[in-house]
Amino acid sequence: MSTRRIHVLPDAVANQIAAGEVVERPASVVKELVENALDARATRIDIALEQGGRRRIRVSDDGTGMGREDALLSLDRHATSKITTAVELRAVRTFGFRGEALPSIAAVSRLTIETREAEEEAGTRIGVNGGGITGVDDAARQRGTTIDVRNLFFNAPARAKFLKSVAAETRAVSEVVTTLALANPRVAFTLTSDERTLIEVPRAGDVAARVAALWPGPEAGTLIPLSHSERGVEVLGLVQRPDVARPGLRRAHLFVNGRPFRSPAVVRAAERGYRTTIPHGARPWMFLFLEMGGGDVDVNVHPAKAEVRFREEGPVLEVVESAVRGTLQGDASSATFDAQLAAPVMAVREPRPATKPSADQMALFATASDQGEGGDAAGAQTEIAPVGRPRLWQALRTYIMAETRDGLLIVDQHSAHERVLFERLIRAFERGGQDGQRLLFPLTIRLTRAEYDLVEELGSLLARAGFEVEGFGGDTVIVQAVPNPHPYFDAERSFREMVHDLTNGSELSRSAKNQHERIASVFACKSAIKSGQKLDAREMQELFDQLFATELPHHDVHGRPTIVRLSTAELERRFDRSGTSHGG
Amino acid sequence: MNFTITRQNLHSGLAAVSASIPSKTTLPVLSNILFEAREDGVWMSGTDLDVAVRVKVPADVKEQGSLTAPGKKLQEITRELPDQPVEVTTRGDQIELKCGRSHFKLNGLPAEEFPTLASVDFSDAWDVEGKDLHALIHHTSFAVSTEESRPILNGVLWELRDGEMRMVATNGHRLARMGIPAGTSGAPSADFIVPPAALQQVQRLFKDEDRLSVAKSGNHLGFRAERTEVFTRLIEGTYPNYDQVIPRDSDKLAIVDKKALESAVRRMAVVASDQTHRIRMMFEPGRVHLNVLTPDLGEGHDELEIGYDGEELEIGFNANYLLEVLRYMPTDEVKIAFKAPERAATMEPVPADGETIDYLCLVMPLRLLD
Repeated sequence: MSTRRIHVLPDAVANQIAAGEVVERPASVVKELVENALDARATRIDIALEQGGRRRIRVSDDGTGMGREDALLSLDRHATSKITTAVELRAVRTFGFRGEALPSIAAVSRLTIETREAEEEAGTRIGVNGGGITGVDDAARQRGTTIDVRNLFFNAPARAKFLKSVAAETRAVSEVVTTLALANPRVAFTLTSDERTLIEVPRAGDVAARVAALWPGPEAGTLIPLSHSERGVEVLGLVQRPDVARPGLRRAHLFVNGRPFRSPAVVRAAERGYRTTIPHGARPWMFLFLEMGGGDVDVNVHPAKAEVRFREEGPVLEVVESAVRGTLQGDASSATFDAQLAAPVMAVREPRPATKPSADQMALFATASDQGEGGDAAGAQTEIAPVGRPRLWQALRTYIMAETRDGLLIVDQHSAHERVLFERLIRAFERGGQDGQRLLFPLTIRLTRAEYDLVEELGSLLARAGFEVEGFGGDTVIVQAVPNPHPYFDAERSFREMVHDLTNGSELSRSAKNQHERIASVFACKSAIKSGQKLDAREMQELFDQLFATELPHHDVHGRPTIVRLSTAELERRFDRSGTSHGG
Repeated sequence: MNFTITRQNLHSGLAAVSASIPSKTTLPVLSNILFEAREDGVWMSGTDLDVAVRVKVPADVKEQGSLTAPGKKLQEITRELPDQPVEVTTRGDQIELKCGRSHFKLNGLPAEEFPTLASVDFSDAWDVEGKDLHALIHHTSFAVSTEESRPILNGVLWELRDGEMRMVATNGHRLARMGIPAGTSGAPSADFIVPPAALQQVQRLFKDEDRLSVAKSGNHLGFRAERTEVFTRLIEGTYPNYDQVIPRDSDKLAIVDKKALESAVRRMAVVASDQTHRIRMMFEPGRVHLNVLTPDLGEGHDELEIGYDGEELEIGFNANYLLEVLRYMPTDEVKIAFKAPERAATMEPVPADGETIDYLCLVMPLRLLD
């Protein structure tokens, strides 16, 4: 008389257990339902919450909809319409492939599905209560699907207890919708909470337009497009111009193969790309879309968590860093006067043909043909790089003005020279050091005790920076050789100020990554041509050429701009000549 | 004021003076030229407050008087006038020019608003030959410093000694010194530190044949020939003891063809770093090798046969400094003397037998890191 000890769990129970994994809170319900709608090629998705989603979550789309049989099957765990063969599973790029979302949600709520396929005459309404189907009827509705989820966790009080305040749950949903809206700019989204509209974004041509719709503030105009491909990893997206990056709240959104993910390591890698172009503590906005072979990234570490696992993380981080770095080398990254920047046109590409996703859903980035009507706005980002040798003139003994094809560049002579000297010394350090000019009349300099100790400690590095220093006894040093960066260089003052900053610390010296950078940035700051120094045409030309030969000509070592652009388009706007404008 | 002057005299007077007028100034009267009609002719003066130039041009003065008038405009007008006598008169603060059928009136400012020129008393003046002064200025003033934290080095040191005068200029990286056994009759034993801008005017306005009177009053120095005067403020302070830093123990001597070295250095400089302009020179018996290695750019090598029998020695220089110094060397061959890679090198002309040229340039080397 043996008792059966092993039972096959009824489906409802299995669904409830699975629900624990997938359905944690309203935000995860919204995520699953919106992903389903996207898979159904919706062009418009409306999400409505009541009481942060506790009382009601309603997601309706204008997608393909389901026939009655499919609709019933969708409530069956592992009955997924998305995968038909095991081969497809490996490279699958649709979202809810696990096929467990809807049954899991249905198991812990009172749920109604209303759906209709275009070719069906009547739609279908299915009612479900705690996982059990309560009725199947005809329904009159447009093409598409509406899932109405009421009383979430009504039968799972343990889970209901963990829900946070209405405001917190609403915030979480809003974050999820924002992320999905970013990943799918061609789909219109609305999110309302207790009748209040939180998000309302129309269909957009590309991510830049979507960002502008999501954050109507000034930030969208400060983003520059990024496009970089290296070692099988493509990075597209938008990053903020360094001159406007500020400390505090910012937006950093990451996607890989269209799927949002979180990774402090990737954000840090991007920030490394900003090094020396932003002040210490500034947090630039970034929207990065990584594309790589499906085999190089596992996006299914956990279905509800935005974690991904790269097969090799190191190279991915390097590519992200160099993508950002490369973008900051471009002219678009310089500070500008332009009030309304032409919405940045993102890099032109069609997503790599994935297994077989619906083309218009995955088209994240506008393609050239899509922007065709814009005339010359299509395609290449307008380059403001100087053509040939621009005519240069000096204004206020501080700025070098240059005329370029697309407007004016205003170069801060001190900042520009800082950038030149900084990169030069960093490169010189890599090779040993930079030359020092021996002095006919060595400088005798008295230091404080702390300064003296520092000079002693850093002696060899200072020597490699060109300063040959000897102790003289007491707190006095003799400087026998100094670098000779320009004819107006005041070696004694530069040395004193450098030593003072290095001893007492400064914003600049703190933000440096290592001792080499610290010395190079302080040297650059103290030795660059000062503002107020009159420069002749040859000197301006030399500085201009040297600046554009640096890695990051648009940014000085304090994280300030070296160049401010004033485009022809902006001038035309200001003078109300837009009728004759050729663009923007 | 009323005088008649030839177009040519008016033009040359204006040309002489207007070069001393600042191109931009916050004091409007400084862009004017002061006209003073005296019995013996017309004086024209211009100044930027540091240096003043005053010239006398022959004119037929009918009525004496004075006025200031815009220098640049007058110069432009005069350039376009027909070659006929010009009658200049004043009406109130206006200056009127008549030349043939051309007629101009320009607004001026009263002479009292013009800054008083340094009053240098020429009664204690001493004499200098124009050509001596020119030689000294030409060979030294290029070496003054452009960096402003040590104003002393922004000037040229002019040393007057019994039977000799010298000029010295340096920016602390290289130095030029020239001496002339001068017929400076009645000169005091004194040191002046003269702004190079004033010396430029001296070079421009006086001729080799001129015999100049030089005098000092207070903190000003005056140069005067027959019809031209230049005044300048002197830079105050003590010039560093340059004599002490000129090496006397250099034991390695090279005799080099100036032109050959100049063109080799110029070739090397093309590939030198645009910051340090560093080239290396490797001296060995009978030969000097020139090397340039600039990361990111490339390298260059050249060699010259020279007169040298010392030990091997490698030394680095800023190519620009070498080129500058070579340019002013007055002989076909030059003598380079040095002792060690971190010590000053000196360059001197090699004059023909029986001739002496007291000229020395010094160049501090670059420290070679590798």
